[in-house]
Amino acid sequence: MSRIRPLIVMAVLLIVAAQGQQDSTSEALQDQIEKLRGQLEGFQEMFAETNNAVETLKKLKFSGYVQSQFQSAQTAGIASFAGGNFPSATATRFSVRRGRLKAQYTNDLTLSRFVLQIDVTQGGVGIKDAYVSVKDPWTRFIAVTAGIFDRPFGFEISYSSSSRENPERTRLFQTLFPGERELGAKIEVLPSQMLFNGEWLSYFNLKAGFFNGTGSTTNENDSRKDFIGRLGMEFPLADINLAIDGGVSLYRGSARANSKKVYSVNDAMREFVADSTASNLGNPYDRSYLGADVQVYYDLPVLGGISVRAEYIQGSQPSTSADNKVYTSATADLYRREFRGFYVNVIQNIGVDHQVVLRYDQFDPNTQVTGANIGATATARLTEADIAYSTIGVGYIYHWDDNVKFVFYYDLVTNESVSISAPASLAPYKTDVNDNVLTFRTQFRF
Amino acid sequence: MRSKAMLWISLAMFSTAVGQKHEVLTVKGSDTMVLLAQRWAEVYMSKHPELTIQVTGGGSGTGISALINGTTDICNASRPIKPSEKQKLKQRFNSLGVEIKAARDGLSLYVNELNPVKELTLDQVRRIYLGEIANWKEVGGDDGRIILYSRENNSGTYVYFKDNILGGKDYAPNTQSLPGTAAVVNAVSKDKKGVGYGGAAYGKGIREVALKADASSQAFAPTAENVRSGKYPLTRFLFMYVRSRPAGAMKAYVDWILGDEGQSIVSSVGYFPLR
Repeated sequence: MSRIRPLIVMAVLLIVAAQGQQDSTSEALQDQIEKLRGQLEGFQEMFAETNNAVETLKKLKFSGYVQSQFQSAQTAGIASFAGGNFPSATATRFSVRRGRLKAQYTNDLTLSRFVLQIDVTQGGVGIKDAYVSVKDPWTRFIAVTAGIFDRPFGFEISYSSSSRENPERTRLFQTLFPGERELGAKIEVLPSQMLFNGEWLSYFNLKAGFFNGTGSTTNENDSRKDFIGRLGMEFPLADINLAIDGGVSLYRGSARANSKKVYSVNDAMREFVADSTASNLGNPYDRSYLGADVQVYYDLPVLGGISVRAEYIQGSQPSTSADNKVYTSATADLYRREFRGFYVNVIQNIGVDHQVVLRYDQFDPNTQVTGANIGATATARLTEADIAYSTIGVGYIYHWDDNVKFVFYYDLVTNESVSISAPASLAPYKTDVNDNVLTFRTQFRF
Repeated sequence: MRSKAMLWISLAMFSTAVGQKHEVLTVKGSDTMVLLAQRWAEVYMSKHPELTIQVTGGGSGTGISALINGTTDICNASRPIKPSEKQKLKQRFNSLGVEIKAARDGLSLYVNELNPVKELTLDQVRRIYLGEIANWKEVGGDDGRIILYSRENNSGTYVYFKDNILGGKDYAPNTQSLPGTAAVVNAVSKDKKGVGYGGAAYGKGIREVALKADASSQAFAPTAENVRSGKYPLTRFLFMYVRSRPAGAMKAYVDWILGDEGQSIVSSVGYFPLR
């Protein structure tokens, strides 16, 4: 018994000591857990804050692209629609054709959107888009947009320059809608597939609005506003891998004459005739275009998708003697021209990375006269601005990756020949001017 | 004559080399479908060693973007392609893309196992996720704020739920976005007040709520039978999208997926075959 007692005492002491150690260990563990819990809560708060910041930043998106190119013209100093006229004595050039940066902030809760896009080139910095757009909260397929944005006319205007297979829009569009954008407000009705799935309404869309009519960089010069609208249709025939899109567009506006002399073509004489009535000064003169466009997409087995896009526009253009763009002059006489133009563009994808493109376009700025009338008599007042043009464009596009593409494109430009008795100013146009242009372009888009 | 023979030999060698080329198919998109796609790929590659199929997730939106950018051959999506995405495909590839219905899925609504709520109407689900119903007691549960869990907005499941349950409206601002349905399931399993949604394949470990089309309808759980029969009100197709009509190895793979063997894998992963 006396032997056992010390053993029991020792055992008890050991257990107490072990217990004490265990208690201190569990206390330390508890402290550690509390410390970690505190740290975790801290991280959770930090995460919540960071998450809020990220959610806000996700509403702001930046995108952009740079197009840098080398061009070679057939003759130095030619006038060109392939990226602008060549300076005199210059037949080749490097240029940054477009350098776009677009910021877009979308608030999904209020269904509003802000867009600002600038264009930075060797020529300076310009504003391309600056608008606010708000969707109606009830149907969510009606949106109102105000500011500087693409005119809702036809197909080619709204087809982004970064996606377009041809380096430039056609002569027709560059003449009628320089810069593509305009100051105004529009309403857009895009019936949702979700609400009208399969119903006829889901195939249609409407964009229409009122605009200054003087372009995006020129101040308004009268109180009349121009109406521009397009009724679009989209018929996806997915079962046969075919899609047919199209639309009809209307431009109904005017230009204010800042001279009492207003010229119109006399159909019998095929020359411009002046009307010098004093009240002409300040009067509005008709600027009306009617257009139709169609795009057909078809998936060719093995080869890839092909699309055929065509567009036709005719109408009346108030302009000046030397320029068939819309009249915005402060002093010049006003010339009224009836015009028409069209293009057909065929794009074939070859696999994932390659595309070939062929486009034919024609623009006759004055349909009431022919080439033979231009320059035939000095009194006819017909100028370079009345000459019709056609262009064949052939190109190859290689998509290097999802950001970079290379474009090789050749514009074969043909002008209408003017009268053989034309004066010296029109002499180059007695035959086809050597104004073809080769473009090699690289584009990076993000 | 000799050079002609050399030319023919070179051509023959080239065509042999092309014929023996090891093909690679890339598949990207829906996280909901990633397990299914991996299983398809594993089984198919075991029978066709000449083909490598690389499968990655990232979400339906990410997959469709990759299809548009040309960085994937096949896109998996748990929602239909949007008109704006179709437009981008048209612009870049002059094609509408080809939609292939690959399987069916019942979208489940998860609550914590301890939550007494057993069934909900679609309208109640809608109001819960819009924030109009904020307490479980309003739908027959215990008193307590409803904690909303959702997928991130690049997910097809997120878009499908938004379009089909919320009527296109935005989720309540306090909804917590989580990367992947597994993360949603995990969060709900640890949160007594939580609610989340996702594919049936991820629905293990938490309780799936039976759903009613409206207050007067019968409630149905997302069982195979109810999804297949269409009684369960929240069913959807799982899609594959390709840029052009499939040809060659891709066509063979797609045909196999739609065939008996591919569809039997659909069932084994927890989804529902087309037939």
